[in-house]
Amino acid sequence: MDAALPVTGTTTHEEHHGPPEANRSSRVDPQMLGMLLFIISEIMVFGAFFTAYFFVRIVGDNPWPAEGTELPKLIAGINTAILLSSSLTLHWAQTSVKNGNRRGLKVGMLTTFLLGATFLLVQINEYVNIGFAPSDHAQGSIFYGLTGLHGAHVFIGLILLAIVTVRAFRGHFSEKEHAGLEIPGIYWHFVDVMWVVVYTSVYIV
Amino acid sequence: MEQRRGGRNSRRMVVEMFVLGTIASLIGIAIGLAIDWFPEAASTQAGPIDTLWDVLVIVSVPIFVGVTIIVIYAARLFRERPGEEGLDGPPIHGNTKLEVIWTTIPAILLLALCTYAFVVLRDIEEAPASAAGPELRVAVRGEQFAWTYTYAGSDGKKVSTTRLFLPKGRSVDFDVTGKDVIHDFWVPAFRMKVDAVPGITTGYRVTPTRLGTFPVVCAELCGLGHAYMRSEAEVMEPAAFDAWLAKESEESNAPAGGEAEGGDGATASADGKTIFTDGTDNGALGCGSCHQLADAGTAEGIGPNLDEVLPGQTAEEIEASIVDPEAKITPGKPAGVMPGNYGDVLSPAELEAVVTYLSDSTKK
Amino acid sequence: MSITPRQPGWTRAGIYCLYGVAFAFALSIATRAGLSYDPLVDGESVLRIALLGVPFFFLVGLGLFTYWFRWAAGAPTIPEDHSGHGAKSWKSYLYPNTDHKVIGIQYVVTSFFFMFVGGLMAMLIRAELAAPGRQFVDANTYNGLFSVHASLLIFLFIIPVFAGLANYVLPLMIGAPDMAFPRLNALSFWLLPVAGTMMIASFFAPGGSFASGWTAYAPLSTSAPIGQEFFTIGVQFAGASSIATALNFLVTIITMRAPGMSFFRMPLLVWANFSTSLLVVIATPFVAASQFFVLLDRSLGFNFFDAGQGGDVLMYQHVFWFYSHPAVYIMMLPGFGIVSEILAVKSRKPVFGYRMMAFSLLAIVVLGFTVWAHHMFVSGMQSWIRVPMMVTTAIIAVPTGIKIFSWLATMWHGVLKLDTPMLFTLGFLTMFVLGGISGVMLAMIPLTIHVSDTYFIVAHIHYVLFGGSLFTIFAGVYFWFPKMTGRMYDERLGKLHFWMTFIFFNATFAPMHLIGVQGMPRRVADYAEQFATWNLVISLAAFGTGISTLIFAYNMIASWRGGPRATGNPWRSLTLEWQVTSPPPVFNFDEIPTVVGGPYEYGVPGAVHGVFGGSGTTAEPTQEPAESAGTPST
Ligand code: HEA
Ligand code: HEA
Ligand code: HEC
Ligand code: CUA
Ligand SMILES: [Cu+2]
Repeated sequence: MDAALPVTGTTTHEEHHGPPEANRSSRVDPQMLGMLLFIISEIMVFGAFFTAYFFVRIVGDNPWPAEGTELPKLIAGINTAILLSSSLTLHWAQTSVKNGNRRGLKVGMLTTFLLGATFLLVQINEYVNIGFAPSDHAQGSIFYGLTGLHGAHVFIGLILLAIVTVRAFRGHFSEKEHAGLEIPGIYWHFVDVMWVVVYTSVYIV
Repeated sequence: MEQRRGGRNSRRMVVEMFVLGTIASLIGIAIGLAIDWFPEAASTQAGPIDTLWDVLVIVSVPIFVGVTIIVIYAARLFRERPGEEGLDGPPIHGNTKLEVIWTTIPAILLLALCTYAFVVLRDIEEAPASAAGPELRVAVRGEQFAWTYTYAGSDGKKVSTTRLFLPKGRSVDFDVTGKDVIHDFWVPAFRMKVDAVPGITTGYRVTPTRLGTFPVVCAELCGLGHAYMRSEAEVMEPAAFDAWLAKESEESNAPAGGEAEGGDGATASADGKTIFTDGTDNGALGCGSCHQLADAGTAEGIGPNLDEVLPGQTAEEIEASIVDPEAKITPGKPAGVMPGNYGDVLSPAELEAVVTYLSDSTKK
Repeated sequence: MSITPRQPGWTRAGIYCLYGVAFAFALSIATRAGLSYDPLVDGESVLRIALLGVPFFFLVGLGLFTYWFRWAAGAPTIPEDHSGHGAKSWKSYLYPNTDHKVIGIQYVVTSFFFMFVGGLMAMLIRAELAAPGRQFVDANTYNGLFSVHASLLIFLFIIPVFAGLANYVLPLMIGAPDMAFPRLNALSFWLLPVAGTMMIASFFAPGGSFASGWTAYAPLSTSAPIGQEFFTIGVQFAGASSIATALNFLVTIITMRAPGMSFFRMPLLVWANFSTSLLVVIATPFVAASQFFVLLDRSLGFNFFDAGQGGDVLMYQHVFWFYSHPAVYIMMLPGFGIVSEILAVKSRKPVFGYRMMAFSLLAIVVLGFTVWAHHMFVSGMQSWIRVPMMVTTAIIAVPTGIKIFSWLATMWHGVLKLDTPMLFTLGFLTMFVLGGISGVMLAMIPLTIHVSDTYFIVAHIHYVLFGGSLFTIFAGVYFWFPKMTGRMYDERLGKLHFWMTFIFFNATFAPMHLIGVQGMPRRVADYAEQFATWNLVISLAAFGTGISTLIFAYNMIASWRGGPRATGNPWRSLTLEWQVTSPPPVFNFDEIPTVVGGPYEYGVPGAVHGVFGGSGTTAEPTQEPAESAGTPST
């Protein structure tokens, strides 16, 4: 019986030669390009949620935030700083590995991960204490929708960071080979930048 | 590879094609204009729209005929004939002049059409300058699956009906809203339609020009009874209309229509009246959207009037009619409209509550 | 070889599905217990979690994530030994495979399966509408029928079948050994059966299938029974599949072209898929979001569309159409690519105005994002949006017109071979123009105010989607059939299929223009007496269309099993996919070809598109019948 995927395949093939090497018609790294395109579609998902925000707040002319509620600008602001600093530590980890500093890589990745996790916990704590639910009014729906969507992205980003961290501790990556760190890194930076946009439009403006 | 030598006598063919194309277009346009496309026209809005259609037919037919005739002639003239296997055509890669032409001409044509359409749009949406009398405002509300029309009657009273009455020759401005889901208020004879959207007021205006009754159709999918959400509009002489309105305002005190108070505070899950008027959260449609029941204050709909048909029925019979509406079809009422899913979507307790409520409230 | 349950495969997938169901129960009960809801077991919430979760368990069971799991855990990944490439027998098609040719065929066969199911629903629709009054389905089932009909045909037929055809031929055309991300490619495919099964299974949901049309407007969809979520969630899987495929195409096209293949030497099919993929990557997230909103409103009590709580009902339509208008071009541009390929080969002439053909595709992509509100002319949105949208909508006809006229010019003075692919192409040219023209009429707001939501729209839909997209799909399937199967199809049956389809298609959908303008609304299970005659005619013709489709199915199956062997290049085409055997070798090329000229230099003496071996020798079409992998052993 044919096995499912080549990875786990147990059959052997007559001709053992592999495919010819594909021509590289662009200098861009395929994985990197894939990630960038993926980020474009992620931006569009956020775009759709911002459309909802726009309709409720501007077109519908509803008060923002909803009457009788307040958004914890300050705590969220501190949280923003936490998330942004995780971008810096991530950058430090990346620079370290390029310079062959393995300890820097490990510590950098671990701090990044912990900072990200802190952000998420603070966010969850905010949900618990904020005093309104998504089912209360449309503003609540949009608030939870946008921050929740972002939270989900932080969560995915954390999984990616966890993978990178585990691999870093297992001795993966080197001065030459660090694409596996770079590509999740772009995603994490994207998550951070997106937060700034969400924070500005939901809490500040 | 070898090329085919000497094409067909194509210049003559092009002329022939052109002549044929013109004839075919003329015939096509004639047929297009002769067909009786529209329902009868009963508003001032219908005229400009029908003319726009004629113009579009006149523009479109030659485009379609042109493309088709070129395809047919190409297939006729340049078909591979026996002995031509392996031949190639001439390597023509393009022709800038041609490409410019077939970019600009359609662009100009389309912009012209848009301008014209814009003018028509203004025509049909503007309040007529020389309206007979002040504009009449009618509030239209769509709900599953009926329309309610509300007029400002004499001395501030509101008059609500489920049949639309309009005076001939007077401009009418509709304010349209939806109660539950989106509906669409369309009178084909007037050519105008607009969605009835919960939360906002939309609308349009028409000036009826013809006496008679015309179908009112719901044109936006609104659920099970969408196909049956049809009623009628009656255009009357202005004097008759005024008389009707005056008479109605005298009689009216409470607005008719599906407005009803909810249940008496019991929990929604087991309160028969609430389920009857509002349905349940998991998608069971309120019975009141289709059935008239005095106790719940619901109006005439597409289902049987329960005040009339239920007295004398046992609770078992009523329950059977709800769980399996198809088992027994009320004469004169459409089969397959009443949802067959109440057995699934209502819990046994809810079902019992509805049945008890119905048998109690219709007992004499 | 025996299968043990622990090995990835169908057995394990089945077991994992059970795990998934158990997981859904556990999660739902745990959450409800945690929030002290009553009752503890809520069927709806279990079903909802199962719909979201079981597919993942299934895919894991099939083995689609095995590699990534090992990679993520930092475990050594087993290096690709390519033994899974190619199909060894028809059974290989039932398992995940990373070979783009196998995936391509999996895609095409699966999506045609859904086409038949969706078509069968159309037959039921037409049977119900054959006469006024109720024939044999109730209003709820009827609404479900057309909703599932459209959803299957759009999300599981037209969009994926184009992706499947391109999956097969595009890497060959650009001289690549495979797609850029083969494992992602396999995953994209396997999401489709999941989505399709979900949509069909909705008929078994309590309260019936989803019944709010393929557009699923809120608040109808937020207040419908649970069957609605089979759409809401199914679309997420179909959408994820399209986005993943589009990423894959874009990366493949950008980074893996053969040496010498500049952008302006790419075949137009590649250009078309490039443009389509851009549309998918940018637009599809919007439909995903629109369904997220619906799901949140339904399951967690959000108020995106609850007007009473400040929600905005029209927002759904804006978000939905911002995807779904570009989606209609997602459903058409790949067809434009197919038509360009076939017309050049079958007319033996270069495509007229190649560059304009490429630019007009990009123009359609850009304009496609500026017209969404033409579906909302009567929705009650802010009225000032309408006129700008009317103008942009009308202007889209200009780049489309450039394409039509260039194709006509391509044929002129050619040597036309009027076989089945060409007949469908010519049928497309005429029928799509008709559908496009009715589209331009719809752009004219005053007319749309009258005909919106009538059968005039239904006529437009089918002229562009059937006469447009489906005709090009038929043409493409016939055209690449020899390449994909190594067999020739039956030409006589093919022609019969074309003529029957052409005639019955027109008899079915042309009268719909008339009854639409006369006032018959769409999406109705019952209609006024005055439309009875035409509806009967339409229904009879629709059954004819159904029968003609059966001829196609017979032709494909019979020819695949026992058609005459096809040579490598039966059409004397210049593009690269025809320069290898039929079906192509397991790794497409022994050596990557070098591209030295344009793809359509027919009639230029001695012209070649690609050379093999770098030695400067032209790639002679391989003549010997192919015996390599990929032929289903019968
Ligand atoms: C393959 C899919 C496809 C394609 C390609 C198109 C193409 C077009 N569509 Fe269509 N459309 C749909 C699928 C498609 N549509 C569907 C599914 C719906 C219904 C959705 C629903 O509600 O369920 C819809 C609905 C729809 C509406 C909304 C109607 C309503 O609900 O009220 C409108 C309105 O503007 C419209 C317009 C157009 C236009 C202007 C084009 C143009 O792109 C067409 C351009 C092509 C040509 C014009 C022909 C060739 C050009 C020439 C030969 C040049 C010369 C021509 C002229 C000068 C006119 N379409
Ligand atoms: C690619 C898209 C596509 C295709 C190919 C089709 C194909 C067909 N469609 Fe569909 N249709 C849509 C997309 C498509 N449709 C969309 C988007 C809508 C809008 C839905 C909405 O409002 O939400 C719609 C709506 C729609 C309606 C309107 C429903 C309504 O508004 O109430 C109707 C009614 O006649 C219809 C009919 C048909 C018919 C007869 C075919 C035929 O051409 C089908 C032919 C194919 C087969 C029949 C399958 C093969 C044969 C068999 C399986 C054997 C059985 C044979 C016999 C019994 C003879 N379609
Ligand atoms: C979409 C419209 C619709 C809704 C909603 C609806 N009905 Fe009906 N109902 C009908 C129609 C139409 C009939 C007549 C045809 C038939 O008997 O099936 C009917 C018939 C009935 C009958 C049988 C009357 C008789 O002649 O004995 C009963 C009882 C009834 N409905 C009760 C209900 C109850 C209770 C509900 C809500 C839980 C409900 N209906 C919801 C449309 C509806
Ligand atoms: Cu109300 Cu359709
Ligand atoms: Cu559109």
